[in-house]
Amino acid sequence: MRLRSWLCGLLCLIALPALAHKASDSYLMLDVQGREVSGQWDIALRDIDFALGLDADGNGEITWGELRARHTDIAAWALGRLALQRGGACELQVADHLVDDHTDGAYAVLKLAGRCPSSMGDLKLDYRLLFDLDALHRGLLRLGLDGTTQTAVLSPTRSEQSFVAGEVSRLAQFGQYLVEGIWHIWIGFDHILFLLSLLLPAVLLHEARRWRGVANFHVAMVEVLWVVTAFTVAHSITLSLAALGLIELPSRVVESAIAASVVLAAANNLKPLVERRRWLVAFCFGLIHGFGFASVLAELGLPQETLVLSLLGFNLGVEIGQLAIVAVFLPFAYFLRDTPFYRRGIFVGGSLLMLAIALVWFVERAFDLKLISA
Amino acid sequence: MLPALLVTALACPSIAFAAPRKPALDTDVVERLPLRAGDTATRELAALQASARAAGQDPQPAATLAQRYFDLAVARGDPRYVGYAEAVVARFPEPLPASLRAVRGQLRQYRHDFAGALDDFASALAADPELGVAHAWRGAIFLVQADYAATHKECEALLHLNRTVLHGGCFGLLQAYGGKLGAGQQSLQKALSATADAGNRLWLLTRLGEVAEWRGQPKVAEKHYREALGLGRDDGYLLAAWGDFLIDAGRPEDVLKDLAGWEASDNLLLRLAEAEAALKRPGAARLAQMLEDRFAAAKQRGDTTHQAEEARYQLRLRGNAKEALRLAAENYRVQREPRDARILLEAAIAAGDAAAAKPARDWLTSSGFEDARLRDLDQQLCSAVSPCGTALVIPLRSKAVEQETLSSPLRMVIRR
Repeated sequence: MRLRSWLCGLLCLIALPALAHKASDSYLMLDVQGREVSGQWDIALRDIDFALGLDADGNGEITWGELRARHTDIAAWALGRLALQRGGACELQVADHLVDDHTDGAYAVLKLAGRCPSSMGDLKLDYRLLFDLDALHRGLLRLGLDGTTQTAVLSPTRSEQSFVAGEVSRLAQFGQYLVEGIWHIWIGFDHILFLLSLLLPAVLLHEARRWRGVANFHVAMVEVLWVVTAFTVAHSITLSLAALGLIELPSRVVESAIAASVVLAAANNLKPLVERRRWLVAFCFGLIHGFGFASVLAELGLPQETLVLSLLGFNLGVEIGQLAIVAVFLPFAYFLRDTPFYRRGIFVGGSLLMLAIALVWFVERAFDLKLISA
Repeated sequence: MLPALLVTALACPSIAFAAPRKPALDTDVVERLPLRAGDTATRELAALQASARAAGQDPQPAATLAQRYFDLAVARGDPRYVGYAEAVVARFPEPLPASLRAVRGQLRQYRHDFAGALDDFASALAADPELGVAHAWRGAIFLVQADYAATHKECEALLHLNRTVLHGGCFGLLQAYGGKLGAGQQSLQKALSATADAGNRLWLLTRLGEVAEWRGQPKVAEKHYREALGLGRDDGYLLAAWGDFLIDAGRPEDVLKDLAGWEASDNLLLRLAEAEAALKRPGAARLAQMLEDRFAAAKQRGDTTHQAEEARYQLRLRGNAKEALRLAAENYRVQREPRDARILLEAAIAAGDAAAAKPARDWLTSSGFEDARLRDLDQQLCSAVSPCGTALVIPLRSKAVEQETLSSPLRMVIRR
């Protein structure tokens, strides 16, 4: 008996390429969008029969009735061998049972549905179907993770795999927060007004109680650079601290302080108190504005796994927005700096207007009134 | 990114176009199992499974069960049983006892892990020097790798263990592959006359059929194959060799008749598809598509053990000489038997690329393998693509007319 199988061996080896065809595979298609999981799992009926025994009457045929009677067992067996994690264990269930045909026979089709604790971050998958019974079994995974498709072969040696929410989607997230940052500067009039009130005098020099135009563009540029950088550094600090939950201020205080900052900056143009170190003003009030940005970010929500990246994106976005304003404003102001139009109309008139608007905001915000804002 | 896209694209034919359904009636049959509860094989397997479970950490019943699974895989051409066998072996901790090592060696060579298999058989022999099977397997692996000096050592070891039949098989094949077809035929014949065991007779007759074919004796070959078939045992290798013989002999109708119902085995499906194509039957396209789906399915799981068959499929059924040559060359790096050399030469001729077939031509030179068909292919490659190498040309002893008739159906298929 043993000799025969040994002999057979000598032949079998040569028959190898012939035999090396369809071993057992299951086809696992998962789509994970945020918290929601949906998918389909095709498992060969022959494999299920080997594990659980489906052929109740032992006639070598599996009928739909025999299969249907075991649907609960099959779901429990399969789901007990598949674990998904995204911020914790995802709950999975079989929503429907169907059948389908693949190249090597009929398959049970398990329609999957589930929810994960977190909508962001990497997905961990642990697959152990049939490995205890068939070491050549493979799970062929096609995973859609937040719109990016990835494939993998799950084997006994690679049963646990982690899937990064693809590079593309991280980049997309960064881009999304960048745009939010730009957008917030554009719709955040209080920030624009504060910046403008600091920029208006950048092309002027206050000497002997009189304003005159700066000698060259370089001087104006240096002044603007100091102001904008100080503002940026300051609001980045408080924005980050607030976004990380290290400091929290009531929004009414923050919003009122922002309005007050515009009032003071505009007033300083009309009756200069701080002349040389405007960057210091920008820095101090920038700290307040950072808390304002943070409240916007809190509404957007920050993904825990890409916290730093998103924060950076938002800050950069705010920066780009500011630079765009500077790029438009500075050449215009420099060109007109010695004209009465600029001196009276823009500088004095503009400052007065900003002062008035900011005062209204301040009163509204500080005393919770509705005056002109909708 | 691009590889990911390709993988996705590959995954699509078998996944995206599937249409899951819900059968209407409880009595609808959705699947037919390969084994029924009442079958002898099923009962035997159930008994082996039970005794392996009861034995706990005693490896012997597990080794018997794993071996039975492997034998079933070979007989039916069904790799699932190989997976079952691997799982049975995997339940035991390392280092494995000799009996399980010997089984795992067979499973490893099945996956073309030849180094791992040789290692397992060597360890099994270290524990049990009397283990003839391990020498036989090592000999067989060295034959496939065309390492005839190493094969010779294993055959000698079998002789010293007085394994007459095993030695006859080992030595006969070594002679045949190494340029002595006549002597090989005699050794195999001698081994055949020394055994009454149906299993032994089946594989010796099959190999004798092949040797007769290589010697240009189709009538003798047919006699051997028919006697082997007459034993009434399922054997995928025998049916594949018989199918190839019939295709080469221009008898595709007989292929369809004798291999009917064996579509489940990829290997035999290839022969059936070739026969349908030779007959220009409308079913040919369907069988070719089935094959393509199966190769795609294997690729999805990272399986590269079917390259020789896929090369043949690409060359003879798809007319894709370039891809066939790539696959055949890739396969020849792992397996270097006459059939592997043949598909490499055929693909090289079709692709007009003599350099790619150099390893096979070198083997023809160094081994002195006498098959007239291979020598003829070598010559064709030589004349079609110059400059020709220095392959040894042996005068064709077989009748030129007979040779011409034999290869003509093949050429017809190639031209498709």
